[in-house]
Amino acid sequence: MKTVFRHPPEDLTGKRYWRSLEELADTPEFRSWLQREFPAGAADLELDGVSRRNFLRLMGASMALAGIGLSGCRRPEAYIAPYTKSVEWLVPGKAVLYTTSMPGPKGGVPLIATTFEGRPTKLEGNPLVPSSNGGTDLFAQASVLDLYDPGRARTFIRDGEEAGAQQFDVYLASVAKDLEAGKGAGFAILMEEQVSPTRDRFLRKLKERFPESGLYTYNPLGFEEHDLAVAALFGPDIALRADFEAADIIVSLDSDFLGIEQTVQSVRDFSRRRRVHGLGQDMNRLYAVENRYTITGGMADHRLRCAASQIPAFAVKLAKEVAASTNDRVLNAVVAQLKDGGTPFDEVWIKECAADLVARKGKSLVLLGDRFPAWVHGVVLAMNNALGAFGSTLRVLSVPRVKTSSFRDLVADTKARAIKRLFIFGGNPVYAAPADFEWGELQRAIPEVVRLGYSFDETSSPSKWHVPEAHYLESWGDQRAPDGTYLPIQPMILPLFGGLSQLDLLAKLAGLPADVEAIRETFKTFNQESDFESAWTRFLRQGFAESSSYQAAKVEFNPNALPDLLKTAGPPPGPVSPGAIEIVFPADYKIYDGRYANNGWLQELPDPITKITWDNAISLSKSTAKALQLEDGDLVEIGVNGRKLQAAVMIAPGHADYSLSLPLGYGRWVVGKVGQGIGFNAYALRTSDSPYFATGATVNLVQKNGHRLVQTQNHYSMEGRALVREATVDEFKRNPAFAKTVWMDAEIPPNVSLYSHPPLNAPNQWGMVVDLNTCIGCAACVIACQAENNIPIVGKDQVDRGREMHWIRVDRYFASAGGDKNNPHLEEDPEMVMEPMMCQHCENAPCETVCPVNATVHSEDGLNVMVYNRCIGTRYCSNNCPFKVRRFNFFSYNDRPVMDRIEKGLPGFQGKQQLYLGPLAPWGMDELSKMQKNPNVSVRIRGVMEKCTYCLQRIETAKVSQRVKAGVKGDLSLPTDSVKTACQQACPAEAIIFGDIKDPKSRVSQLRTLPQNYHLLEYLNIQTRTTYLARIRNPNPKMPGAARVGNINVDEHGDQRHSAPRAESEMDGGNA
Amino acid sequence: MANIFPRWTNHLPIKIVFCLLVLSCAASAAYWYYLTPEYMRVGYQPVQPVPFSHDIHVTQLGMDCRYCHSYVEISSHSNVPTTQTCMNCHTQIQSTNPKLEAVRESWQTGQPVNWVKIHQVPDFAYFNHSVHVNRGISCVSCHGQVNHMDVVFQQESQTMGWCLNCHRHPENNLRPINQVFNLDWKPGNQESQQQIGLELKEKWNIDPPQNCSGCHR
Repeated sequence: MKTVFRHPPEDLTGKRYWRSLEELADTPEFRSWLQREFPAGAADLELDGVSRRNFLRLMGASMALAGIGLSGCRRPEAYIAPYTKSVEWLVPGKAVLYTTSMPGPKGGVPLIATTFEGRPTKLEGNPLVPSSNGGTDLFAQASVLDLYDPGRARTFIRDGEEAGAQQFDVYLASVAKDLEAGKGAGFAILMEEQVSPTRDRFLRKLKERFPESGLYTYNPLGFEEHDLAVAALFGPDIALRADFEAADIIVSLDSDFLGIEQTVQSVRDFSRRRRVHGLGQDMNRLYAVENRYTITGGMADHRLRCAASQIPAFAVKLAKEVAASTNDRVLNAVVAQLKDGGTPFDEVWIKECAADLVARKGKSLVLLGDRFPAWVHGVVLAMNNALGAFGSTLRVLSVPRVKTSSFRDLVADTKARAIKRLFIFGGNPVYAAPADFEWGELQRAIPEVVRLGYSFDETSSPSKWHVPEAHYLESWGDQRAPDGTYLPIQPMILPLFGGLSQLDLLAKLAGLPADVEAIRETFKTFNQESDFESAWTRFLRQGFAESSSYQAAKVEFNPNALPDLLKTAGPPPGPVSPGAIEIVFPADYKIYDGRYANNGWLQELPDPITKITWDNAISLSKSTAKALQLEDGDLVEIGVNGRKLQAAVMIAPGHADYSLSLPLGYGRWVVGKVGQGIGFNAYALRTSDSPYFATGATVNLVQKNGHRLVQTQNHYSMEGRALVREATVDEFKRNPAFAKTVWMDAEIPPNVSLYSHPPLNAPNQWGMVVDLNTCIGCAACVIACQAENNIPIVGKDQVDRGREMHWIRVDRYFASAGGDKNNPHLEEDPEMVMEPMMCQHCENAPCETVCPVNATVHSEDGLNVMVYNRCIGTRYCSNNCPFKVRRFNFFSYNDRPVMDRIEKGLPGFQGKQQLYLGPLAPWGMDELSKMQKNPNVSVRIRGVMEKCTYCLQRIETAKVSQRVKAGVKGDLSLPTDSVKTACQQACPAEAIIFGDIKDPKSRVSQLRTLPQNYHLLEYLNIQTRTTYLARIRNPNPKMPGAARVGNINVDEHGDQRHSAPRAESEMDGGNA
Repeated sequence: MANIFPRWTNHLPIKIVFCLLVLSCAASAAYWYYLTPEYMRVGYQPVQPVPFSHDIHVTQLGMDCRYCHSYVEISSHSNVPTTQTCMNCHTQIQSTNPKLEAVRESWQTGQPVNWVKIHQVPDFAYFNHSVHVNRGISCVSCHGQVNHMDVVFQQESQTMGWCLNCHRHPENNLRPINQVFNLDWKPGNQESQQQIGLELKEKWNIDPPQNCSGCHR
């Protein structure tokens, strides 16, 4: 029965009551008198034809609005507020994509930004750019959250008080006048390292107009040492770029080219040679020498632990072997000039490694970490020259740059009182400068400092002016990719808080047009076509300028400067020992140099190697810990370079002995809510002559178990289950299907299910393949998934309880053969494997059968679907999941305050997160944070289970588009490989491949036919839709320890594997 | 011992149980009738900030739905017209009519007109307009005879069961593609709708999702 609810009509017949004859007669005069009689609100009712009926209706409506009456039982009123002026290109509900790029010190990352109603919500790589495959690094994925950071600077601040934009303009005008008058004397700009042609153009113009001004760049993770060596040996304006696709053999001397020093291109190209889709014939081989486990070390076939301070000596030893084999005159001279420090190395390792390099002369490559001293770079470059790398695996490119001075020069100039007015663009020198410069004091001594910064930070406090910086998603700009391709930076949204970009400020100082005009001007130098406007439109639409990569330089390696360069090498440091400990300062994988400290996603992301969240810790090896009597979580005091720091300690497998590493970027003291009080500040120990490592450190225990380190995976093993399967290339060639007969899969016959199979009859059947051979473990997929699916952060306390919400995680395992009396430390030299883990979408899902309310069902196209509104929070599904990929919302992390703590109140609750107030905690998402959320994905609340959905929103969008396109035609088939999941799209190594397994042309179908494809826990007969390609390593049989490579599959009997038995000498324990 | 309870209490338990049974049945019936969307939502006719009449604009003036709801064929969301769309005509037509005061004020000040939302799909379910109107479902199937409404009210309950009803039997609502925006179109008779519907379902390969994944993301 449906009743249409309307107010009852006025009864005009029947008995009426009248007070006057006029009323009875219902004359017009009476009507008007009636109107005037109405009380307050009469003004609103002076409309034509108002009657008691309308009045009642209006009054009824306002009572309804107040919640009284029947509407009180109804849903609360909601509103639709359309735009007033129609906005061009904006279709509510549909995303508009724009190209842009993310600035970085090595070059820009080409991006495509997804915007909904003018706000960017997700960033992807730009596959149209030749040097990109559409992947990104995790910083680009997380930068969209930075745009909506509640802790970002919103106002201009002068002398600690809020000022307005106009006042800053007035100030700038006075600065400009001074500059004109003095030709820039006493004026200096300190900038971050960036490769921006427009910025360079502005700087040149500035220098032209004000020749006395100073331009300085500072990059805390700088590669000045490398650049110095290159400049000495090749000439000015030259850069070297490794060509990983051409390299057969790569030796990395603490060069984390897949990790912190990665570019999308380096990972992509390396993966192309790593991927085994045939028989592994042209697989590359990687040797790594490093002091701590890095992402690059994890991919290595042979890895040697070596203290960072000994790597220069190692490089010399390696050079000696290479020189002997190649008879290279220059290299022999280099080796002769340098003294031996007497550190013992594994001579056989070096010899065989050198032999391998020389055997593939012209296709081999030696790389050194950026921050080693220039002379070591000289040695390595000479080695590369002897190996014929220049021009083949190491491209020599002509890279014209504006000459700027170094931070050291700035310090000297400041001390000499030459700087009267300093503009600081970005960076954070007060926090990140070498400790011996004491830059905080020096900056305070400068009369006027204007700081352009994204957030009010350590450098802003002592500055006169703090100018809010615009995010790169809010500004016009440009970049060059690491290979030189010219990329635009386009704004997606007007600066949310009226910030200025670097280019804006420079333009004002240099007197040049800013914004889009500036970029158009620069584009003219890259444009090669006659029709400028159409070239410009195409440039913005495809996100790069054609044929704009760096050209090969016409210079040769010039060894003449080598002797002088090598003279800068001091006496070699002695070997590390319990009395001579070194400490290394690597960049952090998530916080980089400290700039992302207020980014919740990155803080909560487990570090790829240590799996620590919301913290950093000193990593050291087990032997070192034993010698120093330390355990995980101990608080120690490190003393080095005359400085002290207290920090927590963590034992790290694969770490070099008597070497400590403490990542940079933590311990910030002027930072937003998210980064407050997190970690230990390694910059406090770092001095200008030890930018990367320092020797002679002392370690003293302060408090046993003094610090709680929160890790998401503090166990290192697969607990006896063969989850990651690997083999060497030779084993693979002998038995290509080795992965299918490992462990239980070799013993258990095919299973028969007692449950009926859900009908899988849709035209598309979705599946995924994860290639463990190319996955480097960088976790870009984790952040991409978090951005795409509105996954909240939960805070350190909750991660401690295992409640992190990441739908995809990267499991990291170590593998080592047991030690024997010859090699008692074998377990300290493990291999590392990475395994991304997300919902496997099992066809016979254990989670589906146990849900009491049927909130998780299987769709006809093979997805395990989660219906949030039906879930009552039993958590039985998570209990039953063998992979533990289901995440439960214990609190409404999106809507309740995660970072705030309970100040006072019930005893036992103080200090806990405000989440524990339950319904009494403040409700509501910050307006700024709301803007990042993806409107196509539900935001889940408390009490509901969630998990990877194979990006169902993308699948549905694709299906809907196809149906709309089909219209009245019947062709509903999706184009092959048209749907990409967020994790797949972000991965620079193309390790995740998603698609339609029913379509034989799709990439995923082809990969599933590969022999090394296997299901996880196949013996459970859950029939996962996600499968893995086993890891294949390419060891050099002549190298020591080659027999131990590819070792990870030890089954419950303690044997190697069930497949074809290996010869006795290959079994573990044998020392080749 | 004397009897503690008087004799009439012997019947009390059964009477209480019977009463509770009747009461719970009544409560369930009342809930089922009054507090489900079929009663609560159907007929919802809130007062809008502007007395816009679809009857005048669509039936009398002959405007197409898509003039205002311009993105219904390409987007999931069927947009309500921007103030600019209204002012396209109303700068000249009825330009001083007091009923349009709110629209003119919105145009002047840049503040949007706050239309009250009548048809609300919950946040955890995702509905896409474009795939429905491009595949033969008319506005009238879900929104009722909007073209004759002076003030819009909710005519259909729009519960999940109601949606599934059509998803399981799309032939009940399919119509020739050029009639999607003709809200007055009627098939010959009940028989005819089924015939037309089944024919179109076959020809156009209509296969609406019936699994949870179709709408719940």
